[in-house]
Amino acid sequence: MAVLRLVIGRIFVSVLTLLLVSFIIFSMVEILPGDVASRILGRDATPESLATLRERLHLNDPAPERYVRWLGNIVQGDLGNALTSSRPINEILGPRIFNTLMLSLFAFAIYIPLSLIPAAVQALNRDKTIDHVLSIVSLILVSMPEFLLATLLLILFVAMIPLFPAMSLVDDSTPFWEYLRALALPGMTLGIVMAVYAVRMLRDNLIEVLDADFIRMAELKGLSRRRVLLRHALPNAMVPTLNVTALNLAYLVGGVVIVEKVFAFPGFGSLLVDALQLRDAPLIEATVLITATVYISANMIADVGAIVLNPRLRSS
Amino acid sequence: MAVETLLSVENLGITYGQGDEALAAVQGVSFTVAKGEAFGLVGESGCGKSTLAYQLLGYRAPSARVASGRVVFRDTDILTLDRPALERLRGDRISLVPQNPTTALNPGMRVGEQLAEILVVHGRAESREAARIRVADLFDRVGLPLPGRIGRRYAHELSGGQQQRVCIAMALACEPDLVVLDEPTTGLDVTTQEQIIGLLLDLRTRLGMSMVYVTHDLGVLAQIADRVGVMYAGFMVEVAPTDELFSQPRHPYTRGLISAIPRLDGGAVSGQHLRGYLRRSEIPPSGCPFQPRCEVSEPSCATTIQTLADVGPGRSVACQRWRALPPVPPAEPLPATAAAADGAEAPLIEVVDLTLRYGPRGWFGNLLGRPGPQVVNAATLAIRRGETFALVGESGSGKSTIARAISGLLPPLSGTIRFAGEPLAASIKGRNSDLKRQIQYIFQNPDASLNPRNRVSEILARPLAMFLGLRGEAGREKLEHALREVRLESGYLRRYPDQLSGGERQRVAIARALVAEPSLLLCDEVLSALDVSVQANVLDLLRALKRDTRVAMLFISHDLAVVRGLADRVGVLFRGTLFEIGAVEEVFRPPFHPYTHELLMAVPSAHARKRRTMTRRDAEAIAGAGCAFAGRCPWQVGKICEEQAPPWRDAGGSLKIRCHLPVADLADRAIWRGGDDERTTVGVAAP
Amino acid sequence: MAVAQPPLTAPPQVLGRFWRRSPMSLKIGGLILLVHLIVAATGPFWAPYGQAQMGAGLPLSPASFAHPFGIDQLSRDVFSRVVHGGHIVIFLAVSGTLLGLVIGAVVGLLSGYVRGWVDEVLMRFVEAIISIPFIVLGLLAISAAGPQLAGEPVLVIFVVALIYAPRVARMARSAALEIVTKDFITIARLRGESAWSVMRRELLPNATSVLLVEFAVRAGYAPVLVGSLGFLGFGMRPPTPEWGLMISENRALLIASPATVLGPGLMLASLIVGLNLFTEGLARILGRTVQIASR
Repeated sequence: MAVLRLVIGRIFVSVLTLLLVSFIIFSMVEILPGDVASRILGRDATPESLATLRERLHLNDPAPERYVRWLGNIVQGDLGNALTSSRPINEILGPRIFNTLMLSLFAFAIYIPLSLIPAAVQALNRDKTIDHVLSIVSLILVSMPEFLLATLLLILFVAMIPLFPAMSLVDDSTPFWEYLRALALPGMTLGIVMAVYAVRMLRDNLIEVLDADFIRMAELKGLSRRRVLLRHALPNAMVPTLNVTALNLAYLVGGVVIVEKVFAFPGFGSLLVDALQLRDAPLIEATVLITATVYISANMIADVGAIVLNPRLRSS
Repeated sequence: MAVETLLSVENLGITYGQGDEALAAVQGVSFTVAKGEAFGLVGESGCGKSTLAYQLLGYRAPSARVASGRVVFRDTDILTLDRPALERLRGDRISLVPQNPTTALNPGMRVGEQLAEILVVHGRAESREAARIRVADLFDRVGLPLPGRIGRRYAHELSGGQQQRVCIAMALACEPDLVVLDEPTTGLDVTTQEQIIGLLLDLRTRLGMSMVYVTHDLGVLAQIADRVGVMYAGFMVEVAPTDELFSQPRHPYTRGLISAIPRLDGGAVSGQHLRGYLRRSEIPPSGCPFQPRCEVSEPSCATTIQTLADVGPGRSVACQRWRALPPVPPAEPLPATAAAADGAEAPLIEVVDLTLRYGPRGWFGNLLGRPGPQVVNAATLAIRRGETFALVGESGSGKSTIARAISGLLPPLSGTIRFAGEPLAASIKGRNSDLKRQIQYIFQNPDASLNPRNRVSEILARPLAMFLGLRGEAGREKLEHALREVRLESGYLRRYPDQLSGGERQRVAIARALVAEPSLLLCDEVLSALDVSVQANVLDLLRALKRDTRVAMLFISHDLAVVRGLADRVGVLFRGTLFEIGAVEEVFRPPFHPYTHELLMAVPSAHARKRRTMTRRDAEAIAGAGCAFAGRCPWQVGKICEEQAPPWRDAGGSLKIRCHLPVADLADRAIWRGGDDERTTVGVAAP
Repeated sequence: MAVAQPPLTAPPQVLGRFWRRSPMSLKIGGLILLVHLIVAATGPFWAPYGQAQMGAGLPLSPASFAHPFGIDQLSRDVFSRVVHGGHIVIFLAVSGTLLGLVIGAVVGLLSGYVRGWVDEVLMRFVEAIISIPFIVLGLLAISAAGPQLAGEPVLVIFVVALIYAPRVARMARSAALEIVTKDFITIARLRGESAWSVMRRELLPNATSVLLVEFAVRAGYAPVLVGSLGFLGFGMRPPTPEWGLMISENRALLIASPATVLGPGLMLASLIVGLNLFTEGLARILGRTVQIASR
C-alpha cells in the first residue's frame, strides 16, 4: 500500500512538472517580448506577410486562450501542423522517432558493457594501476564535447580507416545492413559519452557499497569473497546502477540533438534543430515538449524503480 | 588462574598509513583470555580498542599493517592465517557483535537469510528446513518476539534493540568459543542496553563462551566482565580483575576514569577529574603516553617507556609511579542545594497542560503526508528562579520537544506557557528581543551548534550585539568575562571551533548563552556527546553557574546519575507523558513510579557492581486511551491500565506519581532502595 | 590551562606547503589551466596573424611548421585563430557560469532556509526548467531572443547562466537543507535573525566549499556548452574565432586537412581536461565527492 502511495505521489509530481514545462515552452516561443511573427520571418518581412502569419497562428487571440487551446489539442493527441511544410506534425514525427529509437538502442547496446566492466574492474582494484589508468582515460573522455568526440571518430573511422559512412543519411529504402552501418558512428559517440559518465559514478557507488559496514560484517561471518560480492555487494549496487542508467536515458534526449546533427542523421534530434533554425513555432513547441516528457518519464521511472527495489523506501 | 588459556595477544602493534604519516594505533599490547572468561577492554574514543578487537578476527583495514606481535587462538597465530583458513574460523569459532547493528545488517536481505547463510557456509545445517528451525530457535534464544516469523523482516523494520539481538543471534549461530563485542550497546537506550546486557550475561552462563567486550563505558564492564584491560592512546595501561580495578585502581588514568563517572547516590570523588584531553601530538615519543595529563608524573616519565608489570596476583600496571598514587578518598555526598529553600517564590516559567505534535511542512507536505503523532501529552511543570529542573526519560520521550516549545521553535497544539507570570507567545516571531534574550538554548552537540566558519569571538559577539547593543571594544570586556566564566582563556577568542576539543566547544556554547544574561537556560542533553572525563568537568561548571548566578535551568538528560548530582527537582517523562515529579531526593527514593524504577535499575553503575540475569522479551508499550506505560509495565495492575489514564497521587512532600497503584504499593514493590551501595546483590525476576 | 596557539605562517610558506600537499590532479590541472590563461591573456599580442586575417597561405594547406594547425578554406591561419579565440571561450564560459552560480546560489539557499510555499513554487519551476535538456533549453532560449540578439556575447553568457542557475539552485538548496538542520541555525533563529542575515552569516560561509566545487564543475562544462552552441550555429557569429564554431566550419575539410579541426579540438579538450582535473583535486582538498560533468 505504501509503495502505491509513493508511486502515485511521484507520478503526480511528474505530471505537475510537465504542465509547468508546457507553460514555460509556450511562453518562450509565443509570449516573450517581441512579436512571434517578426521573429519567425526575420527583419526583412513585409507587413502583409506578417499579418498573414499572425492570422495563421491565431496570434491576435489573447495568449492565455491560445495556451489553453494548444494544451487541449495536445492532450487529445493533436500536435498541429508544421509551419514550413504545412504537414501534420504527428506525421512528420513518426519516422524521425523511429530512427532515434533505433539509434538509442544501438547506443545502449554499446553502453552497457562499456560501463559495467570498467567500473567493476576499477572498484575491485581500487588504487591500483589499472584503476588509475581507467580513471585518467574516463576523465579525458568525459571532458570531450559530443561534437568533438564525434568528429574524432569521423577522422578515425572515415578518414583513416574507412569503415563507416561520414553521413548517416537513411530513409525507408535503406537496406538493413546499410542502416546498421549508418548507426555505427552516432551510436558509438552516444554510447561512449554515456558510458564514461556511468563508469565514474558506478565506480564510486560500488566502492561505497564495498566499504559498507554490512560487507565487513559479511566477511567476519566467514563468507567467501565470491559470496560476499554476489550475495551482499551486487544486489545493493543495483539501485545506483539503475539510477545512473535512467539519468543517461534522460541525457540521451539532449545528446541526440547534437550527435544527429553532426552525422546528418534524420532523427528526432535533427528535426528539433531544424525546427529551431527554421523558426517553425508549432514544430518547436511539439518537439521540445516531447523531449521534456521523455526526460521527466526517465527520471520518474528511475525513482519508481528505486522505490520498488529498495526495501527501505518500500515500507517507510 | 589454572584455567585453560583460549586466546593470547602478545606484543601486538598495529600501524595505519606509511612513512612519515604512519600512526601507531596499537602498541605492544599483551593480554590473555581464559576459556569461559569475559574480558573487558575499555578506553576513550581513539584509544585503539576497536582496531584491536578486529585483529582478533584477523581483520584490518587495507591501510593498516601489523607492526609486531601475535594473536594466538588455540595454538594458531591468527595473523598468519590465509583467507580460506580465516573463513573457516570467522563466524564459526570466533564471532563478532558489531557496534552499529543498523549499518552492519544488509539492508536488502531478510534478517533470517542473513542468519541462515552463516549456518550454511559453516556446514551447520543439513537442509533448508533444518536451517529454518535453527534460525527460529536462535531468534527465540535472543528474546526476539515471533521468532518463527521475524526472520522474514528487513533490518529497517526492526528496532535498534531488535537489530542488535539479530546480530547477537548471528554471533551465536555456530556456538563459537569466543565472541568479540565491539561497543554492542552504544547508541541504544538505557533500558534497551540493560536488556541486551542481561541477555549477554544469561547466554554466557548458559553457553560458557568466552567474550572480549570492548566499550568506553566502565559501568557496563562492572556488570559483565571478569577482568578489565584499560587502554590509552594505543597502549594497555592496566589489567586487573574487575572488582579490584574499581576498588583499587593502580594507574592514574584508570583512577581518573572511574572518578569521572557520576554517581547515583549523588556523591562525588573530589579533585580527581582528568585534566585536558588526549592529543596524539603531545604524547612523548619515547615515554608514557599519559604523561602530559598525569597528576603524579615525574620528569623521567616523559623519557621512559612504561611496560605492563605485575603488581599483584592477576594485576599489572604500566606506570612507574603506581606506588605513589594516594589512596582513593571516600566519596563525599554533595551539599544540599540552596535554591530549594526559597520555595514560596512565584515560578519563572510555568507550563500548563502542554500538548505538542510535529506535523508535515508546507501545503505540498500536507497533500502527501499525514499529521505526526502527539509527542507530548498535557505536560504541566514549573521552574522557579535559580532552580534546576531536570526532565528525564529515554530518547523519543518528548523531553527535547518540551524545551523546543518553551523556546518558541514548536508552537503548542494546546496548553499554555507562562514566563514571569505573562503568557508566552507561541512562536519566536511573536516574542520581543528581551524575551529572546532571557530564554537561551544550549544543544546536545557542540559540533553542530557552533558555526564552524566563525571564530569564537564572532560566535560570542553576535548575541552581545543583538541583545545588548554592545559592539567592538565595548563588548570585548564582556566576551573575555564570558569566557572566564566557562574557564577558558581569552586566547580562545581567535580560534575556530575545529581547533577546540569537544569539551571546550561545549563551554563556548554555554558562554554564548551566558553573554545574553539569560534568566532561563534550556540545557538539552548538554553532556551526552562528551567523553566521560570531559563530562565531569562540564558538570562542575554547571554546578558553579547554578551557585553563582540565579539562572533557572531546564536540564534535559537521559542520565539519572548526572541529574542526581545537579537538579533540584525532577520530572520523569515516558512517551510524552509525565509520570513522576518532585524534589530530587524524593524522586530517588521509594516510592517510585514503575518506569522510574525501571530506569534506576537499568543504570549500569561502576560504584555498585551487581550481577543479575534477566532475559526479557523486547516488550512494547501499547498505545491507547490508558496509561502510556501499559504493556511494558512490570507492575501492571490489569485491564484498567490499558483502558484508563492513571490518576496523579500525592506521595509525600512535593512528590507526585501518576499510577493506578496506590502509593503504599509502589513503595513496597521497589527493589531499588536509594543509595548506590544498597543494590549490590539484587536479583530481579522476569515479569 | 595551557593554550596552544596555532602557528601563524607567512603566506609564501603557506602556498608552498599547499602545493606540496595538494593532490596530483590539482597540480596537473592547475598547470594546464595556467598555460591556457597565459595564452588567452597574451595570445592576441603574439599570434602570427589577426583573428580573421585572410591570405595566410594556400587554402586547405595541411599542418606545417609555419601553420601548425593548417590553413582553412578562407586562407586564414587556424593556429592564430585558435590563439585569438582563447580569451573569448574562457570569458564566455566563466562569466556565464558566475552569473548562473550567483543567481542559483541565492535562490537555492533562501529557498532551502525559508521553506514553505515559496520553496515549493521555486523548486517546481527549477525542476521544470531542468527537465528540458540543457542543449535544447539553450537553443530554445536563443531562438526566443530573436534575430537581433543572435550572435551577441551577452546572449551566450545569459544562456549559460539560464542553463546553470536552476541546477545550481537545486544543489544549493540541498546544501542549505543540510546546514539548516544544524543547531547553530536554530540558535540564530532563536536570536531573531532575519532570513537574509541567516543566509549571509550562517548559510553562505558553510556552503562556500560546496559552491566552489560547483563553480569549478560548471565552469568545466561551460566551454562544452559554448562550443556546442557555436557548433550548431546558435552561438557566436562568424568570423569570431570561437573554437566550437571553428570546428563546425572546418569539418568539411576533415579529409583534406584534419589539423584544422584537431587544432581547436585539442585546445578545447585540453582546457576542459585541465578544468576537470583541477576540480577533482579541489574537491579532494575540500573533502567532497564530486561528479565531474554533472548533467
